[in-house]
Amino acid sequence: MTNPSTTTHEASATPELRSREKQAIEQETTRGGPVFRADVDIVEGKDEYLVTADLPGVESADVQVRLEGGVLSIETTRGFTPEIGWTPVYSEYASGSFYREFRLSDQIDVSRISAKMRDGVLELHLPKAEQHRPRRIEVTS
Amino acid sequence: MARLSWTGLAHPLSGRDAFEHLRREVDQLFARVGPEAPHGVHPPVNLYESADGFVLTAELPGMKLADIELAVHGNRLTIRGERKISYPDDGRTNLHRRERQAGQFRRAVELPVAIDSEKVEASYRSGVLLVKLPKPASQRPRRIEVQAQ
Repeated sequence: MTNPSTTTHEASATPELRSREKQAIEQETTRGGPVFRADVDIVEGKDEYLVTADLPGVESADVQVRLEGGVLSIETTRGFTPEIGWTPVYSEYASGSFYREFRLSDQIDVSRISAKMRDGVLELHLPKAEQHRPRRIEVTS
Repeated sequence: MARLSWTGLAHPLSGRDAFEHLRREVDQLFARVGPEAPHGVHPPVNLYESADGFVLTAELPGMKLADIELAVHGNRLTIRGERKISYPDDGRTNLHRRERQAGQFRRAVELPVAIDSEKVEASYRSGVLLVKLPKPASQRPRRIEVQAQ
């Protein structure tokens, strides 16, 4: 299940800026339809990591965030579907589901991970475990 | 961002010609912000034909409605806006990965027929912009009854 090219440890797989083309993932699924690699930002703050993923067309009920064996995965089951009777005239993107996974370092407090979905953007807050937060140590004389 | 330039214009154009020239310049400007543009935002767009007109969808996750601007002129629809992404910086912030694109964008879509601009409807849901562009009544297919002789 672990795809090495999507873990945080292999940054070279992701150039700084890519063209707007959606990246399809080769994946064996039982469902039909393409699976896309969601664009993600990862920001490390003092107390937490913030993972933000673009999931356009996806409702909050259709997102599954899973944590298993130290691997955090984001998966969507359903995206935007055109109405019956709409004939494609011009097409720049395909709709499908999104998938992304990351291997977490052990410094995350997994019990306090929270997720929020808004306007097709998923925000995952991954708080750092207490012992890994930076601490100021007073030097006494 | 590229700028409209009037240099190289041999003689002043009048009326229709000037407008045509401007239109061509604008076309080139849009072409430059097309798929080849290496930086910034390039929202992908799909266009469908429906029973009463056209439907345009664009993937624009995480936008504020105030930052999207739509305009219809004749048969041309223009979408412009700015996608802003910012993260709180507490001085110890590290950006490990940046794949989501921020910046200004402008897309123009030319439709095969003029659009009834009064009846254009736009909605935004789950990061997808949906614009309904009805054809004027005169352009819609009409059912003609065949009379028996």
